[in-house]
Order: sequence, then structure tokens, then C-alpha cells
Amino acid sequence: MRLQQGVVMKPICLPATLDSLDEIGKYVVAATTEAGLDTKAAYGMRLAVDEIATNIITHGYEEAGRSGEINLSGVLSDSSLTMVLEDTGIPFDPRSQAAPDEDDLCLPLEERSIGGLGIFLVLKGVDDFSYEYAEGRNRNILVAKRQSVANS
Amino acid sequence: MAFDAQLAMTDSIAKITLTGSLDASSAPRFKEVIEQAAVQSPSRLVLLMKDLEFLASAGLRVLIFAKQKMGAKVDIYVVGSQGPVLGTLEMSGFHHSVYIQDTYADA
Repeated sequence: MRLQQGVVMKPICLPATLDSLDEIGKYVVAATTEAGLDTKAAYGMRLAVDEIATNIITHGYEEAGRSGEINLSGVLSDSSLTMVLEDTGIPFDPRSQAAPDEDDLCLPLEERSIGGLGIFLVLKGVDDFSYEYAEGRNRNILVAKRQSVANS
Repeated sequence: MAFDAQLAMTDSIAKITLTGSLDASSAPRFKEVIEQAAVQSPSRLVLLMKDLEFLASAGLRVLIFAKQKMGAKVDIYVVGSQGPVLGTLEMSGFHHSVYIQDTYADA
């Protein structure tokens, strides 16, 4: 799974079930390690991909009564690591979920809503996040800048 | 690392040791242990999280569930959490509602 700059990491294709989250995590850890991301950025990417994959599995497939797969790939450039998740579940834009605002974050837990935390962590975890739906496929794109490379 | 949650009741204090990765695939196990603790009406919930290496929103939602299930008067202590896991708790505002400590007496 050795990456070179500008090279696309060999994609993986996994069943869209929660049991796949472990393999997805391992793939992301391998990519962030190869990219040389610092601990915080690497963890942020792993968390963001885990949250998006969970959304795809639960909202895109299970709640819709569908089964299918998730494709995950990584691209390492001089300046960034990009992770792309693709699936054929129902069209689902994670950004349609309202993330908690500053007031929500200060509420006591007993008054907190359980919704929106996932997309909140996605947006906090990576430098850029985008979503598109084309030709029957959802595509979630997450980008982390390679600070150490950019600064060298 | 595979997730595990072990409950120990001491007097009226529920201590749960969390290890491994807590995400949507493992959160149901955590919720199950929270429910086991809740039926014993603890006065305090202590979560020993030194060896919890990954925490996703599904785990945070179980913490919200725990507070709502046990009641606002049951204080939650998060013990030994560090690095990015602690960062996630703080980023999500959970430090406003739980006691975050490095160690816990009798832990």
C-alpha cells in the first residue's frame, strides 16, 4: 500500500455494513501515515471518514432498505491528502443535517439533541469537505492539507 | 483495537472501563452497558477512558443517552481521556457537562 506523491492509492470496496468501519479505519490510517499528517490531522481525517461512512451505511443503505458497497480511495499530492467515498445508496448530502451551533454545544447533555454531531465532526476534522451526486453515485470528498510538506 | 466496555458497580458508583474504538459499530455494546448500569440507579457514572483510542459521534450520542437515562443529577466523570479523544469531547462541548479528570480515586 506504499504511496508516492500524486499517486492514487489502491481503492478498496467493502460491504456497506457497520462491520466495515474497522477496515475503513485501517485504510485511512495507512493513508494518513503515508501522507505524514500530524496526529491531530490524521485523527481528524480518520474520524471524518468514519462519520461519512456511517452516514452512508445507515441513511444511504440500511434505512432505505438497500444493500450495497462503499468504495474508498486516497490520493496523495504534494500539498494534500484527499479521501473519496463513493456509494450507490439513496442520494444523501451530509451537509443537509444541521450541525450544532455554539449555543447548542454549551447546553447540558440532558438537553442536547443527538442529531448533527457527525457532520460537525466531519467539518472540524478536515480542511475541506464536498459532496456531489452524479450518475447514480454519491461522492463524498475529504481533504487534509499536508502542513509539514507545505512548510518544508 | 476491538472495543470493550466493562461495568463494575462499587456501592452506588458505576464504573465503566472503555477500551479500543468506539464508533457506530461498537456503540450498541456501550449503550447496552449503560443500560445495565442505569437499572442499578447509580449516584455517579465514572468512565475510565485511558485506553479508548477512537471516539466517533455514535459514542458521544451514547453519553447523551446516559445522561438522559440516568438523570441530570447523576454526575458523569471522564477519567484518563487524552489526545484526540479528549479533543473530540471538548470540541463537542461535552466538557461543559461532564467532569474531566486525569485520575479518579479508587479507579
